Amino acid sequence: MSAATYFEDVVVDEVKFTPAVTVTEAHVEMYQGLTREMSATPSHVPDVLPLCLVVGLGWRVKEPPMAVQAFVALDWKVVKELRVGDTMHSRSRIISKRPMRDGGLIVDERTILDQHGAVVQQGRFTFLVAKRQKETSA
Amino acid sequence: MVDPRRYFDEIELGEEYESPGRTVTEADIVMFAGLSGDYNVLHTDAEFMKQTIFGERIAHGLLCLAIQSGLFTRATAPYATLGFGGLRWKFKAPVKIGDTIRLRAKVVDKKGLDKPDRGQITLDRTILNQRDEVVQQGQTDLVVQKRP
Repeated sequence: MSAATYFEDVVVDEVKFTPAVTVTEAHVEMYQGLTREMSATPSHVPDVLPLCLVVGLGWRVKEPPMAVQAFVALDWKVVKELRVGDTMHSRSRIISKRPMRDGGLIVDERTILDQHGAVVQQGRFTFLVAKRQKETSA
Repeated sequence: MVDPRRYFDEIELGEEYESPGRTVTEADIVMFAGLSGDYNVLHTDAEFMKQTIFGERIAHGLLCLAIQSGLFTRATAPYATLGFGGLRWKFKAPVKIGDTIRLRAKVVDKKGLDKPDRGQITLDRTILNQRDEVVQQGQTDLVVQKRP
């Protein structure tokens, strides 16, 4: 059975680092074919692509992923452009949790860093995360 | 050659755009899962999703956010964009396989930046589905070049 981190088990202020991914020409080509979002400069990665990749990287930490029921909100800043060939990884820090009747809201501050440790993009994801007792079919 | 791009100075407050529609397919979702590595059951497990309030797989929120970014380029003449500054965004309703989404956007703010060759354009953006329901909504800041 796939394990998940439920609302009750999310620890505020916990920091996690993800593995890294080198952003290639192939990522950019696939992404542009899918979305048609172009980059302002050809050697730069389209700005929403690192944001998409960071969510996937979040699944590659050793702890089980949060039982996300919905992505509620996003507040995001682009600090620096990422170039094709750069290697990005990310840091996640849970900054708040608020219980609701069904599940609860988790605010996760994500930072994308490049191979030199410079901040590339940063912001806050708000997720609706399931509570443990809701799990009946697992 | 005529530069088709529109510069900061030429973009006016209150301009409104509406994009063509785009049907979000199962292939879009599968490709996006592969590209992003986000294999959350919400997007990839049809059987699991039958038991949820959604009843079926839903598109990744960020897939639709990325698609609207592409739709913007089909909604109006290109801006002389230097980069994307940031966004404030709400995911309001699910997008399911076969839904057709389109973008409605409006210029709501213009301001100069520290570097004199560029300014920031803020747009209100709304993604609507085929029933005119709002599925995503927010504001984006674009850094746009001034006419050289």
